[in-house]
Amino acid sequence: MNQPTDNERMRRMFDDAVSDVEPRHSLDQIRARTATRQHRRGWFLGAGAAAVATAATITAVALLGEGPGATNAPEPGVAEGSVEPVEPVPVFYVGDTGQGPRLFRELHRVGTGSGVLPGALSQAVSASPDDPDYRTPWPAGTEVVRAERADGRIVVGLDLPGDRRLTAAGVGAEELIGFQQLVHTAQAATKSADPVRIVLDGQRVDTLLSLPLGEYPTQGDPRAQVWIDQPAEGEVVRSSFEVSGLANAFEANVQWELMRGDQVVKSGFTTAEECCTMAPYSFTVQAPPGSYTLVVHDSDPSDGEGFPPWRDTKEITVEQ
Amino acid sequence: MSVRWDPDAAVEEMYAAHYRRLVRLSVLLVRDVETAEEVVQDAFVAMHGRWRSLREPDKALAYLRQSVVNRSRSVLRHRGVRARHLPDPSHEHPGADVEALTAERRTHVLDALAHLPERQREVLVLRYYLDLSEAEIADTLGISRGAVKSHASRGTAALRNHLKDAR
Repeated sequence: MNQPTDNERMRRMFDDAVSDVEPRHSLDQIRARTATRQHRRGWFLGAGAAAVATAATITAVALLGEGPGATNAPEPGVAEGSVEPVEPVPVFYVGDTGQGPRLFRELHRVGTGSGVLPGALSQAVSASPDDPDYRTPWPAGTEVVRAERADGRIVVGLDLPGDRRLTAAGVGAEELIGFQQLVHTAQAATKSADPVRIVLDGQRVDTLLSLPLGEYPTQGDPRAQVWIDQPAEGEVVRSSFEVSGLANAFEANVQWELMRGDQVVKSGFTTAEECCTMAPYSFTVQAPPGSYTLVVHDSDPSDGEGFPPWRDTKEITVEQ
Repeated sequence: MSVRWDPDAAVEEMYAAHYRRLVRLSVLLVRDVETAEEVVQDAFVAMHGRWRSLREPDKALAYLRQSVVNRSRSVLRHRGVRARHLPDPSHEHPGADVEALTAERRTHVLDALAHLPERQREVLVLRYYLDLSEAEIADTLGISRGAVKSHASRGTAALRNHLKDAR
């Protein structure tokens, strides 16, 4: 008999290592959670805020006195098309880059008026950015319990799930970028640069690891320097479609490729409106029907010597 | 090929076909079964939410895989310091019956994996447990094929070392 190859031996070892894992059946829990989403989306749309679908959002809004019991809430189950269009706001998430975890953003429709701030924050801490390259830095079960803007200040209160208490010793890169994520999301939702005070589990956070976190003009720039705003992850687009976003690129030079697997189907470059700051860029792509990965990145002036270029990617489908 | 599943049917079909394997995948990454179950549940809920843009079982599976790897990584980062101070397996001496030896062997592998750098662990698990190609691993992790290659060879060497030490 032949000796198994090294690869084969490794495969067997990995298989064996988890062969005794028999997970608990959890289809019912998943069903309950997805059913809740749809149900809640129903009345939430009715309350005038389109496409908000997380339990955490509901909590936050309920605290502001706009829950299902509010007298001015219209009937539940209003179809999406009949709701006044809501302006999308940036919700920030964390993605890994060549320079460590950085903030990216997705445009989400989260609500109107006083619902925008809690809605955006709740989406930021809930676990489901559309782009699988991104994540929320907060543990599952984190809830937004305060989201207010008054006297030139924004207050954000989070309750972390029971077993995850944040202590000064437990703060790592993930938590620090988590604070930045809250600050950027809160400021974008209020279209302000107001300082943000963070309250965790009822305790005001002033300093952690001697960094001033309570009143928080951010230190350094936690943002990735290339963002694709449109198309969104998973979007189905026409054969001629516009790509737009923000980039802080070397000499404002923004490059892009449309990939199918490893193959570059189309490529090009454009110029952002300004250099040396996050500035808008846009360009139009024409492509035959199919599924693609859209890659937008800056150029690498050091030719591979320095950090890898900033980049953002979206999986998109060009319709028939 | 698109199938005509609604999001609920998609969850059921994908769950029936892939749930156990995805939990095991996550166990290889985070070590703890309960955490792995949560991670995979979250991934299914997220898949349900975006079924309209996935529509195909292949895409949905790729999304689930990616989502499980990303969420597992996120959980590990939250654990932070704790994960880096795992008990040294060589100090544990379970009884010498067959069952204990089997359990010990499995623990050694999980321990050795837990000591690897994040990317090496992910690449090895995708390669040896899910049997993905270099290109698929690159896609799943959002890194280049060259990076996959180097993580795989360094990771394999490091894993062998850890396993030798633990013996």
